[in-house]
Amino acid sequence: MLKMNSMNSIYENLNSKFNILSVDYPDDMQMAIDLEEKDIHTVLAYLKSDGYTQLSILTCVDWLKEGVLQLVYVIFNWDSGIHILVRTKLDRDKPLFRTVMEIYPGAEFYERDVHEFFGVEFEGNERSYKHLFLELWDAEPPMRKDFDTQAYSDKKYAPREYKSKFISEKGGEK
Amino acid sequence: MKEVKLFLGPQHPGMHGNYSVHMYVDGDIIKKANPMPGMLHRGFEKLMERRYWMGNIALIPRICVVEPDINEMVYAMGVEKLAKIEVPERAHWIRMIILELARLAIHLMSFGGIGGPTGLYTASYWSVADRDLILDIFEKITGARVYHMYIVAGGVRKDLPKGIEEEIIKFLDYIETRFPEYEELILKNPIIHARLKDNILLPKEVVHELGVTGIGMRSAFNKANDIRKVKPYARYDQVEFDVPFGPYSDAYTRVSYKLIEMKQSVRIIRQSLEKMPKEGPVRVSYSTGNAIRWTVPSGMVYPVIESSRGEYGYLMVSDGSDKPYRIAVRGASYPQGLLGVEKYLPGHRIDDASIWMATMDVCAPEIDR
Repeated sequence: MLKMNSMNSIYENLNSKFNILSVDYPDDMQMAIDLEEKDIHTVLAYLKSDGYTQLSILTCVDWLKEGVLQLVYVIFNWDSGIHILVRTKLDRDKPLFRTVMEIYPGAEFYERDVHEFFGVEFEGNERSYKHLFLELWDAEPPMRKDFDTQAYSDKKYAPREYKSKFISEKGGEK
Repeated sequence: MKEVKLFLGPQHPGMHGNYSVHMYVDGDIIKKANPMPGMLHRGFEKLMERRYWMGNIALIPRICVVEPDINEMVYAMGVEKLAKIEVPERAHWIRMIILELARLAIHLMSFGGIGGPTGLYTASYWSVADRDLILDIFEKITGARVYHMYIVAGGVRKDLPKGIEEEIIKFLDYIETRFPEYEELILKNPIIHARLKDNILLPKEVVHELGVTGIGMRSAFNKANDIRKVKPYARYDQVEFDVPFGPYSDAYTRVSYKLIEMKQSVRIIRQSLEKMPKEGPVRVSYSTGNAIRWTVPSGMVYPVIESSRGEYGYLMVSDGSDKPYRIAVRGASYPQGLLGVEKYLPGHRIDDASIWMATMDVCAPEIDR
C-alpha cells in the first residue's frame, strides 16, 4: 500500500510536468511510462536530478507489426528502490535518436549495443557506428525480428557434404 | 612518447573469460585501452526468442557461466510477474538457499582468484577446492553441479532431498573454520598489500558515471546499495544480514568485502534453514494442458536481483505467445567491463591490468551474452 501510494505520487508529479502518454506498473516497485521522442531527454534529466542516478540498461524492442522500434531506458533510484522504464517509439525505417550520454555517460556502450543489434542511429555518439560484439558483421542488424538467420547462414557459409566413414570388420577404413 | 600495442586476452591467464583488451603502453604504463568484447557472444538474446518459455530454462544458465543461478532466478521472477504467479512459501526459502550457496561459490572463486594475477596460486587452489564442496551440495539437490535448471517459474523443480539440511550445515561449519585461514593467506599477505592497497581506485564520481553496482558501488558510495536490501526479493526481508560498505574503494577493499559477504551468506543460509517451513509445496501448477507450451500474458517487466557483481536484470517482453518476444540481459559488469576499461584502465601499470579486471569484477560471458 505504501509503495503503491508513492508510485502514484511519482506518476502524478511527472504527469503534472510532462506529457506522459501512458503509464503502467509491471511490479510493485516499478513504473513504465511512454513518452514522445522529443520528451525523453528532458524527462531523463529531470528524473536523474530527482534521485534516479543509475541507468540500469538501455535497450530496444522491435515491434515489427507496428513498424516501430521501441527504446527502453531503465533507470533506478537506490534510495527508494524504484525502477522506471522510460519508453519511446521510433520509426522502424529510419530510427534516429539523440544520445543521452550527456545525462548518463554510461549510456555510450549501450547505445553502441543497440545500434549494432537493432540499427538505431544515435546522433552525438560518434562511435556508435563502430563494431562492438559482431566483428566484421556484414548484414542487417541481427536482432531485428525480420532478420532471417537461416538465409544469412546459407549465404555466408558454403554448403558442405559430410561423409560418414565406417570401420570395416577387418579394421581400418573402407 | 613511444606507444606499443599489447593484447591482454582473449586467451590469457589473467583474463576472466574470453575477453580482450587492446592496450597501448609506454614502458609499463597503459596509455590507452580498447575493450574488445565479442568472442563470447553466443546470441542468447536472439536464441531466447526462438525457444518456448519452458525451453529457455535450459539455455539461460549459460549466459553467466560463473554464476548461473541468478539467470534462473531473474527469468523465473520475470515470468511470475507477467503471469501473476504466486510462489509457495517453502520455495522462496529454497531459492534463497540456492542463491546464497551460489554467491558463496562465486565469491570463493573470485576471492581466491585474486591469487592468479598476483602469483599467490595457493589461494586459487584453496578456493577451487572449497567451491567443489558447494558443487557437491548442488549436485545432490539439483542433479547438476554448475548449471542447475532448478529455479523455475512457479517455484523450484523438486523439494530438497532428505538429509541435505545437515549436509549444508556441515559445510557451513567447515567453511567458517576456513575463513580465518583465507584471511591470513590473502588479506594479511604482504604481496597482496603491496599490489592491492591504495591501488586501482574507484571514486564515487566514477561509480555514478559508469553505473557500477555491487561491491564496487558499495565500497565507494558508503551506502548499503544492495538489491537484497533496497528491493527485497525471495525472503531477504525476513533474514538479518549486513552489507559491507565504505567510502574508499581500492582493490584491497573490494577484495576484502568478498570475504565479509561470504560470511553474511553463511549467516543467511543458517537463518533460512531455520526459518523455512518444514514442508509444503515447492511449485505451483499454473498451466493446464501442455506444460511445455506455456503462454505468458503480454507485458513488459524488469526483474532484478543482486548478483555477486551487482545489479543483474532482464528486461522481459511478452506478446502473449508461447515464446518470449524480447529479453534483454543487463549484465552486472557491463558498465565497468566496457566503458570502465576504456576510460579508467589507462594510467595503470601493465601488471595491474589483470588485477583491475579481477577486482572490478568484469565477467566476460554476461557482457557478451
